[in-house]
Amino acid sequence: MSRTLEDILFGAPGPRARTLARAMSAIAAAVLLLLAAGIVFRFHSAGQLDAPFWEFFAWPTTWAFLAKGLLGTLASAAMAAAIALALGLVLLVGRLARTRLVRWPSIAVIEFLRGTPTLLLIYVCFLVLPSIGIKLSTYWMLTLPVSLSTAAVVAEVYRAGVLAVPRGQADAGRSLGLTEAQVFFHIVFPQAVRYIVPALVAQLVIVVKDTTFGYVVTYGELMQNAKVLIANYHALVPVYLVVAALYCLVNYAISRASKRLGRPVH
Amino acid sequence: MEAVSRLLADHGPAFWQALLLTWKLTVVSFVPGFLLGMAVAVLRLLPLPPLRWVLTGYVEIFRNIPSVALLIFIVFALPDLEVVIDYEPSVILTLTLVCSAFTADYLRSGINTIAGGQIEAALSLGMRPMQIISAVVLPQALRAVVQPMTSLLIALMLSTSLASQVPFPGRELTALVSKIANDSAAGMAAFAVSAAMYVATGLLIAWAGAVLEKKVRILR
Repeated sequence: MSRTLEDILFGAPGPRARTLARAMSAIAAAVLLLLAAGIVFRFHSAGQLDAPFWEFFAWPTTWAFLAKGLLGTLASAAMAAAIALALGLVLLVGRLARTRLVRWPSIAVIEFLRGTPTLLLIYVCFLVLPSIGIKLSTYWMLTLPVSLSTAAVVAEVYRAGVLAVPRGQADAGRSLGLTEAQVFFHIVFPQAVRYIVPALVAQLVIVVKDTTFGYVVTYGELMQNAKVLIANYHALVPVYLVVAALYCLVNYAISRASKRLGRPVH
Repeated sequence: MEAVSRLLADHGPAFWQALLLTWKLTVVSFVPGFLLGMAVAVLRLLPLPPLRWVLTGYVEIFRNIPSVALLIFIVFALPDLEVVIDYEPSVILTLTLVCSAFTADYLRSGINTIAGGQIEAALSLGMRPMQIISAVVLPQALRAVVQPMTSLLIALMLSTSLASQVPFPGRELTALVSKIANDSAAGMAAFAVSAAMYVATGLLIAWAGAVLEKKVRILR
């Protein structure tokens, strides 16, 4: 394993540099501890450490309710991811088509869905579609927009993977007499997916983040359930802190998984 | 088409103002976010373990937290801690924090592209570590991250839509659409116009990023 850059930069300190680094470390630690103490004191002086704000976290019902919210988040995210993976493939095939009649509309759809905020798409499903007679359940009002905007990004990720597959692979397939479709689905695409697994998993973090907008359509995901808890216990700070921590943990776990998958397999 | 032209006749100036507000929010959160991210990336290089741990925590927290959860915390929960921040600064603060965490992460990958031999060469020339960071490490790292930073800027521009989640003075594009859809039947046309503005802005940023990338990229 080669040395990291900071090891080379500060690698072999002399005695003076070492003393200096130790002193600076101590100072940094002291300042950071003071900062943490200041935050805790602010909690205390605002009365946010009082028992009524925290005791309901000792009740299993609270956690069951939060777990239900997390499950709602994951149910929406998983469905959105599944749709995005399939729809992304459709968009990719359209994007790579030879005929302009297919390619240009595909590019337009991809750029449109990629370039529009998910929240705006949610508002369309929530406010605009009902006015023209299309009624979706709250689950789909959240999941559909998230999957659409993710599909466009996934299509571009797929494309990056396909372009990374050496040309010779497709040429070899053609020279064996395979049809274009066979070349794509049996030779190019399976290899492309291998290149992009980390990027796809990383995209999952964005899907989970986007489902946070579930409270806009009152779908029972983590954020929405947090709002219900807050309405019951008037404990804004503790509930939001716990929920933020839950989101961070889930997304951190996904990011770690993506980094692990990114390591070469051979 | 007819619906769109009627909408523009009614709300044309409002859309223009909304677009300008979206641009403004993007710029005023990107610039400090970028500078803060750069500072975090440099400070993480220093051989001070406590600082490194805390900054790693900072980057991981703000990279993984959903921006809207962060915004809601700042706007609705912080007042309980007697910290009251106005709506507009809250949105900017949220986007700045998230932007800085991603910037620090991308710069770290940019820094990793620099060969160790360059640092050794600089050290053997007698350069001090901070000099090396500012003269050798940062310039190359910055040139290596143009592409991810372009994507980040576009994502940030789209994220300004979360300003519609707080009672904001003035409306950016998403808030304007939700208002028009609430008040009238012109929701679809309003959505089409604002989506076109978002897409055009995104393509503009992508184009500028590609031009910059071509100019500064390091061929190896």
